[in-house]
Amino acid sequence: MRGFLPFIGHRLFRALIALWLVSTVVFVVMRLSGDPVPLLLPPDAPTSEITRVRHDLGLDRPLPVQYGVFLGNIVRGDFGRSIHFRQPAFTVVRGYLVATLELGLTAFVLATLVALPVGLLSAMKRNSLLDHAAMGVALIGQSAPTFFLGILFIMLLALKADLFPTSGRGDWRNLVLPALTLGAFTMASIARLTRSAVLEVLGADYIRTARAKGVAEVWVVAKHTLKNAAIPIVTITGLQFGTLLGGAVVTETVFSWPGIGRLAVQSIYNRDYPVVQCTVFLAALMFIVINFAIDLIYGFLDPRVRAH
Amino acid sequence: MKLTRRELLRGAAALGAAGAVPGALAGHAHAQTTQKRELVVAQGGDISKLDPHFSTSSNDIRVSFNIFDNLTSRHPDGKLYPGLATEWKLQGQTTWAFKLRQGVKWHNGDPFTSADAKFSIERTYDPSVKTMVATALSTIERIEAPDASTLLVHTKKPDPLLPGRLAFYGGQIVPKKYLDSVGPDTFNAKPVGTGPVRFVSWVKDDKLVLEANPDYWGGKPDFDRMIVRAIPETAPRIAALLKGELDIITQLPPDQEERVIGHASTRMVGALYAGIYVLGVNSKRPPLDNPLVKQALSLAIDREAIVKELWRGRGIVPSQPIAKGDNHFDPTLPPLAYNPKEARERLKKAGYKNEEISIETTVAYVSQDKAMSEAIAGMWKDVGVNVKVEVIEFSVRAQKNREKSFKGLWWGDPTSTLGDPDGMMWRLLGPGGPYDYWRETKFDELGNAARFSVDEKFRGEAYKEMTKIFLENFPWLPVIQPYEDYGLQKHVEWTPNPNQQFEIRRFNFKFRRA
Repeated sequence: MRGFLPFIGHRLFRALIALWLVSTVVFVVMRLSGDPVPLLLPPDAPTSEITRVRHDLGLDRPLPVQYGVFLGNIVRGDFGRSIHFRQPAFTVVRGYLVATLELGLTAFVLATLVALPVGLLSAMKRNSLLDHAAMGVALIGQSAPTFFLGILFIMLLALKADLFPTSGRGDWRNLVLPALTLGAFTMASIARLTRSAVLEVLGADYIRTARAKGVAEVWVVAKHTLKNAAIPIVTITGLQFGTLLGGAVVTETVFSWPGIGRLAVQSIYNRDYPVVQCTVFLAALMFIVINFAIDLIYGFLDPRVRAH
Repeated sequence: MKLTRRELLRGAAALGAAGAVPGALAGHAHAQTTQKRELVVAQGGDISKLDPHFSTSSNDIRVSFNIFDNLTSRHPDGKLYPGLATEWKLQGQTTWAFKLRQGVKWHNGDPFTSADAKFSIERTYDPSVKTMVATALSTIERIEAPDASTLLVHTKKPDPLLPGRLAFYGGQIVPKKYLDSVGPDTFNAKPVGTGPVRFVSWVKDDKLVLEANPDYWGGKPDFDRMIVRAIPETAPRIAALLKGELDIITQLPPDQEERVIGHASTRMVGALYAGIYVLGVNSKRPPLDNPLVKQALSLAIDREAIVKELWRGRGIVPSQPIAKGDNHFDPTLPPLAYNPKEARERLKKAGYKNEEISIETTVAYVSQDKAMSEAIAGMWKDVGVNVKVEVIEFSVRAQKNREKSFKGLWWGDPTSTLGDPDGMMWRLLGPGGPYDYWRETKFDELGNAARFSVDEKFRGEAYKEMTKIFLENFPWLPVIQPYEDYGLQKHVEWTPNPNQQFEIRRFNFKFRRA
């Protein structure tokens, strides 16, 4: 395990840089998008009132000063007060974050649990009816827009078949349709990738060697194939988490799920800088943490990565 | 997702069939009566504030008008009824005396007194509170509360419409003692009112839970709990109604009505909107500073076609700047005419030289705005107008509205807050109002005189004259007075109010019981 600590240190440093860049980009872009004050006050408010509110919110200070304050506060875990909700931004985002995590993780687990066996089986039974059927469905899952899938599920599974509630957050039954909708793309991507990764490994020399020396097929798959095929699969799985966060915007809107995707879009319309900054920061943090974890797993799986 | 291709195809076919035949979506026949003790309502967006003095958005007032009471109450028939005030009369020219209801308790048990009423009304225009309704009651000079059940409101000039003003936003009465002790932020998070429902909990963008106030002076509503959900997309909102998860949905678009009407357990109710959807006009910018050009633009709009095609008949063609249903609405005026030939002639007479006229449309700021913009642009092109449609986002519209920087035309939905032209035409087109892009001395004199006159006959004449001036100058291009439609379960009996004042009270709501 020599060389593993510097490997972690290096990755951690890169993660911090990424977080700083993300925060800066959001800060700049939000300020380019316009002034939140006209949206806060009634249309007939006098100019003195606008000036006062702008001052109260610290928006009359020079941009570099605002930026400095912003970075300093983030380090202390303070994202400022929401302009729209009149509460600390983090308090606002926290409630939504739990809902998104609940949805995102369910979708993620569901996608992985279905996709890995399906991809593996498709590869093992290549060109069989099962393979064609699974990959056909996967192609639809990958290409159908989230919005369409969501409405389709609501019409078929909630309204017609009466199996699940149409929308909203509640018990596990409320979770099924949005998680399926959100996870569809990820599920399809992982299944297709698993299939090709396994196929590639199955054609490798060491598999032929293993089979030639009489290793049972179960062991060929479990020990030799899976471990080697895992490297690209783990990579794409980490990246897919970002796709899930992005897809959450549409899924949460269709299913009126109170998550950060919806919050972010509404806050952008309200020009609620602190909430947008906090949401994007936390989303980026999650993405970075997941990918950091993936990097670590990767390092364990493939000694060559550590050597770099 | 273990679906085979065949299963998926079967599902897609079922969806196609369901889309084609609305009745096919009826899962199982529902009873037309219910034993439900819970009323579930869904609207298109979440509430943003519970403090009634800090928002005028329709999603918010649908809730605040039920947690809180006003001194006066405007019922769906458009008339004023007693609220927290049992009677009121004008003393002299400028003093309104209100007799307040006795024995009313706030949701936290405190007694309601005239001190609360005085405090609430003064709070709306107190500059240090910075409410969103600062202009709603600005005709008031000072308020006296000589005893616990009397309120004397002195106005700066005679204000015949004050009792009506107190029925709409700004007029919700808030508790002085509670607000003083907890402060505005806690009050906004945990509001206390006197209304038929009291606050229990609110999870943002998910649901608001209210419970029936057993001691309500107007009688406990016929349920134990009321839930208000936010379902932004129309299709899921309707699906949830058809499935029976919801009792009432707001904002039912005309093209979706058949699904609700065709379903065994649901129905639709509508109220003619107390207001008009208009294109605001920046009359300062050439060529829109020329009344002839604006007359031509009005004549070139085929409003009948818009009502019939885009609204499936759910609206009427306006005839004037006063909404049908309001005081002083003139029923003798014909609907605004469509005459493309005449439009071309007026453009010619105006010396129109193909200058660009832009419609800055929003998407769903008012229902169908973008579709109507495109239709109108087509009609204008037919008479030779160089028109351009640009899409702007809500926040850009808000900014342009504030800065008065619209380039040409834009969508607005003037609401009649008082059942009187003073609460719409004059409130919005008057000097300093959001549509102040056009001034005409005579119009202004009449508007001011009518506001402060207690002589209804004089006021009627003034509004007739103002209407005439309006129809020559078109500071707005009125397009449609639409119906606002709601989807209901058949077991719900409920009458909507035309001015978006969504109320769940004994006088307009009950569950049909077996």
